[in-house]
This record gives sequence, structure tokens and C-alpha cells, in this order.
Amino acid sequence: MTQPLRILLAKPTHDSHDRGVRYLATRFRDAGFEVIFTNFLLPGEVTRIAVQEDVQVIGVSTSSGGHMPVFSDLIADLRAQHLNDVLVIGGGVIPADDVVELTDMGVAAIFGPGDSAEAAIALVRDHFAGRPEVA
Amino acid sequence: MFDKATLKRSRDAARRHGEAYGRLVKRFGNSAPARAQDPKTQSGLALKSAYFPHDIADIDFDDIGAPGEYPFVRGNLPAQYQLMHWANQPVIGYGLPEQTRERMDLLVKQGMVGYFGQQFFNLVYDLVSHEGLDPDHPAARGRIGQCGMAVYCADDMARLFDSMDLTKMNVVHITYYQVIPALAQYIAYAGRQGVRPNELRGNSMNWYHQSAYVGMSAFPADQGLKLAVELIRYCNAHMPRWNTTNFFGYGVEEAGGNAIEEIGLMLAFGIELVGACEAAGLSADDVLPRFGFQIAQGNDFFEEVCKVRALRRIWARTMKERFGAEDPRSMHVRIHTHTSGVSLTAQQPMVNLVRTTLHAFGAALAGTQAMEVSAYDEALSIPTEEAATLALRAQQVIQEETNVAAVSDPLAGSWYVEALTDQIATAASAFADEVAAQGGYVAAQQQGWIRRRVEASAAAWRRQVDSGERRLVGLNCYQADEAPPEHIFKVDKNAEQVAIERICKLRESRDDGRYRRAMDDFAAAAAGFAAASVSDLTESRLMPAAIEAARADATTGEMMAVLKSALGWRAPHEY
Repeated sequence: MTQPLRILLAKPTHDSHDRGVRYLATRFRDAGFEVIFTNFLLPGEVTRIAVQEDVQVIGVSTSSGGHMPVFSDLIADLRAQHLNDVLVIGGGVIPADDVVELTDMGVAAIFGPGDSAEAAIALVRDHFAGRPEVA
Repeated sequence: MFDKATLKRSRDAARRHGEAYGRLVKRFGNSAPARAQDPKTQSGLALKSAYFPHDIADIDFDDIGAPGEYPFVRGNLPAQYQLMHWANQPVIGYGLPEQTRERMDLLVKQGMVGYFGQQFFNLVYDLVSHEGLDPDHPAARGRIGQCGMAVYCADDMARLFDSMDLTKMNVVHITYYQVIPALAQYIAYAGRQGVRPNELRGNSMNWYHQSAYVGMSAFPADQGLKLAVELIRYCNAHMPRWNTTNFFGYGVEEAGGNAIEEIGLMLAFGIELVGACEAAGLSADDVLPRFGFQIAQGNDFFEEVCKVRALRRIWARTMKERFGAEDPRSMHVRIHTHTSGVSLTAQQPMVNLVRTTLHAFGAALAGTQAMEVSAYDEALSIPTEEAATLALRAQQVIQEETNVAAVSDPLAGSWYVEALTDQIATAASAFADEVAAQGGYVAAQQQGWIRRRVEASAAAWRRQVDSGERRLVGLNCYQADEAPPEHIFKVDKNAEQVAIERICKLRESRDDGRYRRAMDDFAAAAAGFAAASVSDLTESRLMPAAIEAARADATTGEMMAVLKSALGWRAPHEY
């Protein structure tokens, strides 16, 4: 049976620039995804919710800096828990040279100001294309 | 305002215009742009293709009046900028306090100036402080000195201000909800310099209601309202020169709200806050002269100018008629303009210089009191020195070169400007009435009503951008291939370690007995405060206890932990 893809969108609590990610949540929902949205203080909270909610995708939005430790902790956490299949994407105000480092770290894509919701949705769909258990 | 003959000629002219204009539009057929068929403002108010005297025939001249006269639509004072320019108030803050000080000194050197030649410093705290933590907390990693300065205690204030005369400057503390700890630490530091609270000038945010329209952790809304009253009461007794409260309208537009929602929410909150102050035994004239507004200046040029004029009218009316304010200063809307950040693009960032200049020019025509012009690289990072200087230069060019400073309220009397001002005032008052129907601002916040309204506007804006109906240069039209920007500001990597070491050293070296006594008293005051109702707040107890704690070298994280535990503190998705 085909299950909708489940995506966790997460935003640090003290980063109030959540207009973009909240919009993205509605767009993923409209596109047929099951969307869980959370704010977090520590990156570990994201992993915990990802496991609880059994998501295939995690999207972290950060627009106030401080993104590097969040992503590195998150990726390390996922690896430690053998969740290597979870797709991690990011978005927000993230400088270009950090994007290179994040991609090397294993973040699938970083979306910046002005990028379209469609691009993020298409990337996730393409990643899971040919996986019949999810759609 | 017009005699019958003039009105008749006006209507005749409008009819002729309508017919001729209609023929032109028809000739374009389907290729006529939407603005030709159905002109409207960014917030959706209907516009006409041209305005005539009869469009403002129903406005009484006394509703427009003279600059400096009730209802102050034309400005608070008779003189706008003839005697003194608006204050340059760029937002400053990054890294360690001494690094923020370098940027303060640089901008002073570049001519940044407030009123009467004094300095205004608009200082923003970092993400760690905003969350009410200290730099050694695990969640602080990567966020120390980001988006603001790493200032967490009275010693950090010394690193920021030493060798400056606190009595000859104006300091705005841009906090989230760490309002009380930040002011307490500033007062504690001033005390070391022999400066008393009543000599200090500046501004606290005192705005616990941003979480109504953006997602961030917060005190419960009813406790937030009480905290605002507490600070106002303390300042009323001890800090007569301190501007207590900053109505954060800017955040509404940044979150996606439109001009009507921005000023409608400010009016709705004003009604709630002045009512709460009255319940605590303070009169409208006790508190209103020390309120200020931070207002956005965005892309729709005339709507944003008229919004400011409209706000002055509906505020003055409400405060006079509903709350019995008599002091003209109680009816004034003192505005710090923050040019729109959300309209800036990461694409072709230099184009933002053009946008921000237009925003700033609009704010100047609207008669603002102080201005922060966003830097062109704002969609990329904390501004570089070059970008921050250019943003200041935009203000200086308008002030020195354009001659707009020669005349008060230069757009007054334009049939269009007066009609649109009236239209926005009516729409914003109706929006404030809708908030009242929810039980007031705090109730509307608790029910998520404000959030839903602002988010609906944000989504509508985004749909318009995605569909191309709203055009943004470099984003959905006139795109260009471009290399990644070369100069991106980055916070000093060592700042993090230094900030942590400093706070650890402070904890070891401070007088532990004094610290514990002060924190016990602060915790007791916080517990009493949490249980009190607004009408119990007839004497300030929390703020004096916070100042004692700050004098005993309590840190922001320590003081906020006390407040969070006493008052409650929740992540946004729990509301």
C-alpha cells in the first residue's frame, strides 16, 4: 500500500523568521505530504521527533545564523541511530560557502531566499522516485 | 472643504476622465495590466485611476488640520525636519560587546547622529540572550554573537560603553523577552559610573506580544502584558526620561501582515495596554508620552506613507476620546522607521540599495522621528561595514540633498494622499474592532486569531509572487546570472569561546553570598508577580529586585530562568 511521504519541518525557537517555513509546510501539505512542524531548542529534539513520527524527510529552516552546529549535530545523531535513509534538507539565510560545507556533510540541498516551494517539493519527490512504498 | 461649484466641476472632470480613461483601457483589451483594470494597494484597498477634490469632500478639514495640531495626522510638531533631522538609528550588534562597540564608533565617525547632536545607539542582543540563556548553555552553540551582541551581564555593558558618557546618549535595547534583565544590567552598570536611573535616556522594547504573529518561545500572553505594565510603572517612578515601550508594528509586516493589519494591531494593543495601566492605577497621561512605535516602510510607496499619517490620526483620537488623554504628547505617535527587510532580495543584492532608498524617502515624507535603513546585504548576512555605511549614507543624502526637509508633511492636500489616508484609517480601525470582538489583543493572541490573519496575508503575498502577479526585480522578473557575493560578513569565530570563558569566570569571581541573596529576593518577587493580577501592580517590586540581582552580577540566563519558572515559558507550537 502506498503511504504519503512524511516530512518534519523544524525551526529553532529563537529564530522568529518562520514565515517561509510555515508557508513551505502548507505547500508540502497541499502536495500530498504529511507534514509535522516543530520548533526546537536543541538539535537532539529534532532527531527524537523524527524517530517518533517516522519521517522520511527532515527540513531545517534557519535564518539567524548558528546553522552549522545544528546540521552537524543532526546528521551525527541520525548516523548514530542508523537513520541513513532520512533525507535532510535546509533553508533560510545561509551563506554560499556554508552551503558547500553542509552539502559535504550530507545535507541534500539548501534553499535560499527567493527559491520556490516547487523546487523543494520536486527535489524530495525525485529523491523518492521509484520507491513504491512511498509516493 | 470645497464649495458646491468646485465639487460640481470636480465630478464633471472625474466623469470625463473616467470615460476617456475607459476608452484607453479598452483599446489595450486583454493586454491591459491588472493595475489598469482593478487598481489596488498592496493590502487590497481599492484605488482610482486618478483623484479629484470630491474624493475628499467628506473629510472635514479639522481631520487634517495643521502639523503639530490634533489629530496630528500631519505630524506631532509644527516643525518636521526644518530644525532638526530625524535621528539616524541603524540597528547595531554582533559578536562580543567590544566588537559591537567598534561598529558603533565607526558609524559615529560616519556621521550617525540623533537629536541635539547626541548619539542614539540602537543595539540588538544576540540569539542566546533572546532565548533567555547564557553562552555556556548547550543550545547557545553557533549562536553566540549571531544576529546581535553577546551581552549577558553588567560587565558586558562595561565592555560596550566604557569611556562614554551615559547621560549624553540614548540607548535602545533591542531585546525579545529579556527586557527586564537587560534594563536591570544597564542600570547596574550605570550605577558603577555614578549615573542614576533618572539620568538615563533610551528605550526598552517592552513588547511581549511578538509571539502573536511570529513563532518564538514566549511568556504566556497575559503574563507578558503584566510584565509590560511592571516596567512602565517602574520607569514612571524612577526613569522619567526612559521611553518604556516600543510598539513593534514592523514585525507584523515582516511576518507577512499588510499595512492595515500592522497599524490596526498597534491600535488594538494600545487599547489593551493603556487599559491594563489604568487597572494598575496609572492614567493615560502617566504612560502614553513614553510610548513609541517601530513601523515598517515597505514597497507600496503611497500606502506606506499614508499608513503612517493614518496611524497618527486613529491613535490620537482613541487616546483622547476613549482614554481621556489631555497631554498632546499622549496623543503623539513617535515613530522609529525600520525600512522593510522582507522586501529585500538575495538576488542582485545591490538592487536593495535602490529599494531601501525608496523606503527611506517614503518614511521621510511621512514624517518619521528616527530611522534604520536596512543594509543591501541583509538577505545574505549581518551587514558589512561598507553596507552599513551605505545605509547611513542613504539617510544623509535624503536629509542633506533633496530639500524634502524644508516643508512639514509635504504630501498633505494631495487628493490621493488624503483619500488614501482616510481609507487606511477606516480599514485599520475596523481591524482593531475585529480584535476587540475577539476579546482584545491578548485574547486574540491566545486564540491564535492574530497569527491566522497575518499568515493568511503572508500566504496571499507569496501566491502573488509565485504567480508573477506581484513583480520583484531580480526574483521573478529581470533575473540575471550572477556569481555568489564576495564579501559576506562573518562573526569572529573566537567570540564564542571568549563569551563562554567570561561568563564562567564571572560565576567564580562574583560575591556568591550577595548573588544568592539577590536571586532569592528576585525569585520571591517573581513568584508574587506571577500570582498577582494587573490591578495588584500598584507598586513596582519585580524591577527593583531584578536591578539588585544585576548589581550582584546575575546573568541574563540566570534571571530569565527565574522568570520562566515563575511565569511559564512555552515554545510557539504549544500555543
